[in-house]
Amino acid sequence: MIRPAALIWIGLVVVIAVVLFLVKYEVKSLDDELAVLQQDTLAQQEAIHVLRAEWSYLNRPERLADLAERHLDLEPVGPGQLVAFDPWLEKTPNRSAAELGRKISSGRTEP
Amino acid sequence: MTDLALRSWRSGAKPDYFASRARGPVLSENRNRRPLETARTRLLVAGAVFALCFAVLGSRIIDLSLLGGADANRPTAHAPTATLTLARADIVDRNGTLLATNLPAPSLYVDPTMVLDAEEAADKLRAALPELDRDTIIQRATAGGRFVWIKRNLTPNQHYEINRLGLPGFGFVREERRVYPHGPLFAHALGFTGVDNHGLSGLEKAIDEALSDPTEARRAPVALSFDVRVQHALHDELSAAVADFRAKGAAGIVLDVDTGEVLAMVSLPDFDPNAPTLNTAAAHFNRASLGVYELGSTFKTFTTAMALDYGVVGLNDGYDATKPIRIAGYAIRDDHPKNRWLSVPEIFVYSSNIGAAKMAADVGTTRQRAFLDKLGMFAPIAIELPETGRPLTPKHWREINTLTVAFGHGIAVTPLHLIDGFATIVNGGIRRAPTLLKRDLDAPTDGTQVIRPETSAIMRRLLHLVVTDGTGKQAAVAGYLVGGKTGTAEKAVNGRYKNNALLSTFVAAFPMNAPRYAVLAMLDEPRGNESTFGFAGAGWTAAPVVGRVISRIAPLLGVEPVNEEIAPGRNDLVVHINGRSRQLASF
Repeated sequence: MIRPAALIWIGLVVVIAVVLFLVKYEVKSLDDELAVLQQDTLAQQEAIHVLRAEWSYLNRPERLADLAERHLDLEPVGPGQLVAFDPWLEKTPNRSAAELGRKISSGRTEP
Repeated sequence: MTDLALRSWRSGAKPDYFASRARGPVLSENRNRRPLETARTRLLVAGAVFALCFAVLGSRIIDLSLLGGADANRPTAHAPTATLTLARADIVDRNGTLLATNLPAPSLYVDPTMVLDAEEAADKLRAALPELDRDTIIQRATAGGRFVWIKRNLTPNQHYEINRLGLPGFGFVREERRVYPHGPLFAHALGFTGVDNHGLSGLEKAIDEALSDPTEARRAPVALSFDVRVQHALHDELSAAVADFRAKGAAGIVLDVDTGEVLAMVSLPDFDPNAPTLNTAAAHFNRASLGVYELGSTFKTFTTAMALDYGVVGLNDGYDATKPIRIAGYAIRDDHPKNRWLSVPEIFVYSSNIGAAKMAADVGTTRQRAFLDKLGMFAPIAIELPETGRPLTPKHWREINTLTVAFGHGIAVTPLHLIDGFATIVNGGIRRAPTLLKRDLDAPTDGTQVIRPETSAIMRRLLHLVVTDGTGKQAAVAGYLVGGKTGTAEKAVNGRYKNNALLSTFVAAFPMNAPRYAVLAMLDEPRGNESTFGFAGAGWTAAPVVGRVISRIAPLLGVEPVNEEIAPGRNDLVVHINGRSRQLASF
């Protein structure tokens, strides 16, 4: 004769076994998914790496110079195009603007 | 169990034991009860053992479930991320531009035991790899053993094509290949690596261990002191000059005078480090750091600085340069003879050999050697390159050596030595070891004081005077205060100086009121053309190169241009060119 307590225990064992089985399979599938993602990450990193090399290759100065010459109206910046702040201010007709500029460039900016 | 059964079991299982017991008269009485006790004791022991096991298991279950266990139920928040690891660290320039990197490049091998039809495979492979020889493929595909390389480091396209052929017995091994996106631009400085990813020359060889160090740290790229833009400007202008003057070669360096960082280093002719074996040995020779040359009048910078620093002469002193010096059967003459008394600034600006020699004679041999030694002219430059040249100096330093070394003959150093010494002269007199690695801006740069800061200030004025009034006029750049020194040396061929084989050098720094960068250009055997009226001297060939390089790189490097008329520090650069009479501003 099987007592009710034994029935409960047997039932419990079966339930736990099924749950364990399910959890195990879920972990396994997650593991597989992780491995795939890791593979994917590596592939993407490698692709980024190759693209970085290509970017550097396409940005060779001689290539850029050639392209700029053919397609742009720009020229390299010469010394004449760079003007320091102070000499420019000397020529400004507006004295107050010049004063303000001098203050800014000397670091004293209180009003 | 009945007594009978027990007895029969006993006699069957352990006949000797019970037989001996049965003989004893005392024991015969308890003969029937003893086996039962034995059985019970055994059961008890077995039961205790099992109970202990269950107790251990039970306590472990309680430990795991209720008390939290040791580490067993720590949640896994995130799995470690996969990171791409390459066999060799990247190299970048000071702004992070990629200069050298490893790219995956699979290699093709064959397992001859699995090849079905070697001839058919060879024909198909030749379609994808036309550079391979058909017979070689067949020979390898039918060789003994189970592994033979067919081709190392395939391109992605080749990999795809061969994979598509689906040839049995042919397989790929994942390998990496060093790639230099900028090609020949950094050929000599970076060097190149072999097929097994080990550095064979240049920086790749010098810091090979650091680059292939298999630790965490190597994932960070190595940052160099180079600037791609500066390197390109220098390479471009030197190449143009080599073509213009049909020179055999050229070398150029740009150096940060305050930190010793090398911003650019070019040696021509050069080679493509992506395919280093295609070039001759001459192309692999690094003229900038390995080649030693007699650099001529550029050494007068050192002679003048030395004489001023030792207090042997002042700016108002001078020497008689009317007659050549005759010593030991040789005559020391001037290339641009003035045939008169010359002040020290004039000697320097007009590059008088006689004056420089007399100055050195007054300083003396011992002090001259000590000074050049302090400037580092006697030892190879300690820099991150395996190719560093050892200077050639006179074995026995006689008086004539003192005189010729004063104007750069009889001593052969690398261009790197020259620009290093030059930077020391203009930067306030502090010598710092040049480096190819980017320096940490906060880290103090240690250096040794070689000349006094005041001497350095005087030298800056004299060098600027050379560009405004002397032999280096063609290096002048609008907006920038350039100062430098020309050097035109005849090359010694078979022990004699050839007057048609010149080595033209110009070394300069800018801006001269507070120098930040030094630039050197050296042309090997330039020949004059119409634009230079046939002259091949440094003032006509090397100086314009330096001028153009400075005008290109100064705006890039953030050097503020000055209006020469109202330049701050202009008065600092005034030099009394002739101590006796007139005063001349150096602008």
